[in-house]
Amino acid sequence: MEQNRIVWDGNMAASQAMRQAKIDVVAAYPITPSTPIVQNYSQFVADGDVDGEFVMVESEHSAMSACVGAASAGGRVATATSSQGYALMIEVLYQASGMRLPIVLNAVNRALAAPLNIHGDHSDMYLGRDAGWINMVANNPQEVYDLNLCAFKIAEDYSVRLPVAVNQDGFLVSHTTEALNYLPDDEAYKFIGDYKPHNPMLDPEKPVTYGAQTEGEWHYEHKMRHEHAMYNSFGVIEKVLAEYKELSGREYKFVETYQVDDAEEIIICMGSVAGTTQLAVDKLRAEGKKVGLVSVRLWRPFPKEELAKYLGKTKTITVLDRSAPLGSTGALYNEVAAVMVDNGYNAVLLNYVYGLGGRDMTIDHLTEIFNSAKECSDAGKRVKPLIQTINLRGKELSFY
Amino acid sequence: MTEEHLLKGWEEFEPGATLFSFEGKPDQEVHHENNSVQHSVADWRVDKPVHNKEFCIDCQFCWVYCPDTSIIPDVDDKGKGIFGHIDYKHCKGCGICVDVCPTNPKSLLMFADHLPVEEALRQWPEKEEKK
Amino acid sequence: MLELRWHSRAGQGAVTGVKALCDVMAHEGKHVQGFSVYGAEKRGAPMNAFNRVDENPIIDHSKAMKPDYVLVIDPSLVYTDIHYDIKETTKYIITTHLSKEELLEAVPAFAGKEIYLVDCIKISQEEIGRAMPNTPMLGALMKVSGLFEIDDFAGSMEKLLYKFPQKIIDGNVKAIKRAYAEVK
Repeated sequence: MEQNRIVWDGNMAASQAMRQAKIDVVAAYPITPSTPIVQNYSQFVADGDVDGEFVMVESEHSAMSACVGAASAGGRVATATSSQGYALMIEVLYQASGMRLPIVLNAVNRALAAPLNIHGDHSDMYLGRDAGWINMVANNPQEVYDLNLCAFKIAEDYSVRLPVAVNQDGFLVSHTTEALNYLPDDEAYKFIGDYKPHNPMLDPEKPVTYGAQTEGEWHYEHKMRHEHAMYNSFGVIEKVLAEYKELSGREYKFVETYQVDDAEEIIICMGSVAGTTQLAVDKLRAEGKKVGLVSVRLWRPFPKEELAKYLGKTKTITVLDRSAPLGSTGALYNEVAAVMVDNGYNAVLLNYVYGLGGRDMTIDHLTEIFNSAKECSDAGKRVKPLIQTINLRGKELSFY
Repeated sequence: MTEEHLLKGWEEFEPGATLFSFEGKPDQEVHHENNSVQHSVADWRVDKPVHNKEFCIDCQFCWVYCPDTSIIPDVDDKGKGIFGHIDYKHCKGCGICVDVCPTNPKSLLMFADHLPVEEALRQWPEKEEKK
Repeated sequence: MLELRWHSRAGQGAVTGVKALCDVMAHEGKHVQGFSVYGAEKRGAPMNAFNRVDENPIIDHSKAMKPDYVLVIDPSLVYTDIHYDIKETTKYIITTHLSKEELLEAVPAFAGKEIYLVDCIKISQEEIGRAMPNTPMLGALMKVSGLFEIDDFAGSMEKLLYKFPQKIIDGNVKAIKRAYAEVK
């Protein structure tokens, strides 16, 4: 397919995908670093480029509430938020997923206060982990654009009918301009398809109640129906990503891998650090070191089976968590550790807490991490602390 | 007690716990099993409201306030909206209609649920004199 | 990979300059990356912006770089530390009204460095009508780096600025060409 080449940052990529999806309603309360997404969209509305409504509300709680209202009324709906705004949205995130409303949220990941920080880490994404949303992670503006288009199609599939969050690292992706390819408007829209409302509240021919109370006799059944839909979504996500590859030539997988086949030390991470890690892998491979990278694309539902394929033969696995777990190992580490136990694998596991509040993670840092893992591989056991820090000032700090 | 037929398995529910009002089109007036019309709350009642049309001024306050839509309005020969009757299948005996009734004496009063309406009307109090 | 680091004050258009360079290079088929280091955004606060340009996709998302060019678009920033993470071949293009001798005397740290001077503030004030040193700096960069022929580059910038009034576009094109001619 003939595609246009353009220079966008992650925020503009999200806005443009939202424009091409012909959304009916965007309700938002802008917050750094996601502000430009809805700012751009409101510009599209003002310029008459889109037919949708932009609703400016008084808080993120209201923003997601308005999205829930518009989606249950039968509209295609999207919004964006970050950090504190994401935290304020949390209550309504559970409402949206429980009501099975296919809303698309662009979550531009940013640290949670205190102390106040506008830069990228994954605290907010981890906070929304159990809210019943499908969560995908985009590592650069191209992926933000592509995954946004896919998000609408996945969310709206009848067997899924779940909201989808597309996560991108604040500033490192959202405010980084890169060249990318985008589909012509009509092709992008044709891929997503017309919105087919399911049980819309504004249908006078079929009055419906949303948000009914379900006490003990029903609640469990409804939640497990939700859980079932979440697991059903694996197949749909796979299908949509395959269709998108057919159309655009760009391939996305539940977990992206690089040089893992014979790797003895593997780093598992999420987000924009994956690209930098890939360069560290190249550098160490050139020195003859057997290192590899696994980047998790699908955070929820978590692709346990897919991930297990790559972890059976390696010696040491280092999991990078861009959020302070504050009292345990990181959330991604825990997922990986569970996969290891489930499959009877017994590589050495290490956990790094890195990049908080936008702290830089360079090729040199990643090389250092790989080298540290190598010491465990050589010893055949964990000779390093379980939770370590990198690029942190002060005395060396580690836990367990 | 929950009626057995409503206790479905997880796979039988609509996604998102949505509930419908009607089977088919609304104008066919076939109520869905989840519609509250299908479920009586009469057994919650200890006292029931009784209406005395002798004092009623058809102000419709009771119709507005009833939380269970159990005051059923009617129209008179001239087309004016009037009090019709009480839906004792859906009245749970909360007494709000009595509370909001503005007449003296009240045109709606609570009586023991087992007391026949005719007997209740015989026991109706006199107008209270303002002091 | 070509790497550039901009030293600017918030509000002087470094981010716009970074994006403009990204745009022009991307249309030449190059892979580009442009980003900046934001703090609490206050007009006038010193800030950095960065460009990466390469033949291959740019997947490094760290801020670490050893720039080929350091672009300084505010005259007062030469007195701050702009010499970190540089290599021997790093070239400086500096907005200043000083001569090379005067600058070396004022800031001895520039001794032995390859520096190019151009007064982007004055050029933009005279040609565009306000102190917007970003586009003239790109003109100076074209001269020093030889990345593009100046007419091709000015033409690309003209297209990029299409949303602005004609007067602003013409002013920018003139400023770019003048900085190209005046940088030493």
